[in-house]
Amino acid sequence: VSERLRPAVTLLAALGGVAISVYLTLVHASAAPLACSAIGVVDCERVLSSGFGVIGGSGVPTSAAGIVWFAVSGALALARLRWPGPLAARFQLVWSVLGLAVVLGLVFVEIVLLGALCAWCTAAHVLVLVTFLAVVQGAAAGAPEAQSAGG
Amino acid sequence: VATARKRPPRAKPRRRRSPWTPVLATLAGVAVLVAAFLIIRWATTPAAQPAPATTVTADQLTAELAAIPQSELDQVGIGSAAPQVKRISGTALNGPDGKPEVLYVGGEFCPYCAAERWSLVVALSRFGSLSGLRTARSSASDAFPSTPTLTFRSAAYSSQVIDLVAVEEFGDSPSQVLKPLAPAQEALVRQYGSGSIPFVYFGGHAVLSGATYSPGLLQGWDWAQVTHALQTPTSDQARAILGSANLLTAAICQSSGGQPDAVCASAGVKAAASHL
Repeated sequence: VSERLRPAVTLLAALGGVAISVYLTLVHASAAPLACSAIGVVDCERVLSSGFGVIGGSGVPTSAAGIVWFAVSGALALARLRWPGPLAARFQLVWSVLGLAVVLGLVFVEIVLLGALCAWCTAAHVLVLVTFLAVVQGAAAGAPEAQSAGG
Repeated sequence: VATARKRPPRAKPRRRRSPWTPVLATLAGVAVLVAAFLIIRWATTPAAQPAPATTVTADQLTAELAAIPQSELDQVGIGSAAPQVKRISGTALNGPDGKPEVLYVGGEFCPYCAAERWSLVVALSRFGSLSGLRTARSSASDAFPSTPTLTFRSAAYSSQVIDLVAVEEFGDSPSQVLKPLAPAQEALVRQYGSGSIPFVYFGGHAVLSGATYSPGLLQGWDWAQVTHALQTPTSDQARAILGSANLLTAAICQSSGGQPDAVCASAGVKAAASHL
């Protein structure tokens, strides 16, 4: 991903992630039917209605955490555009590592514990992965702001 | 004569790592992890075995339903059960022992009652112990004929937190009255259930009228096959029956004041409570 495209990629991923997470949270709150397959391995209902569909049995849907993560990720992407220093870059890297770790945990729950995949959740997971890859690639490419900060 | 000046040794060019290296490494790592998850799933999923078509006693069934692990119920959440249990602010109802009363009204002919009893037995077993249940089937000439179930006709229940009043109003047909309802019970069924069964009144805090899943899921099955399917949380029967049991449990928790905490604060029940 070129240096110019990178912020756009992370920003678009954040917007897409917020949209998906808001949709899943609204469906949970309204008990409206979910637009998703319920046949075979891809079964959103099975995943979202399981005990893992809420945070720690609190009644707060897991997708609410997705809204927070993607919103912060988008804010960090904007912050890097406004303040191209190393601080925002570091925050972005830490935040994307945290996001990827949680995603891997959720994928473990879906595949190993539930034996079902939620298509919407998988889309959100892919967006977290895309964000992570863009941030990591940027860090490895040595963004100019990082070089100047380094000397 | 020009003297040759020694050049300082040229710095060895540093090999710059491609920015794509960590990207590819991450993708490879994720792929390996997902593959590992799939292998774990494959290795830990028991091969589908034909359900044993053995005869079991009602007492064995009751014990098996009471022994369903909480972790499995948590895993199912509300599963595929329809969130039919509604919160109400009705008349508080206390049972014969002065504890909040769960009133069940059904009929042995009724296929929807047959389906819902499985969930009710699982839910009630989390608060106390049931005895005297008997195996039964719904009417052979009604919808979803001969749905296997357990009847509350001669059931007894003991619990520290709730009382159960279970009335099987009808026998093999709606014309065979087994036990007429008391006027107060009749009034509740009319007010909150439009007179239909199955009907469950949770101490004035919640009510269920109708079934939370289709009896069609149990068509052609016997009791042992149903309990066998309940051991696999991803089976259609477990997702319906245990999901419904979590909804009923959440409703009972409304009456019991959240007691016992180990049940009412469990993940599956909390997930179900948000659907009441």
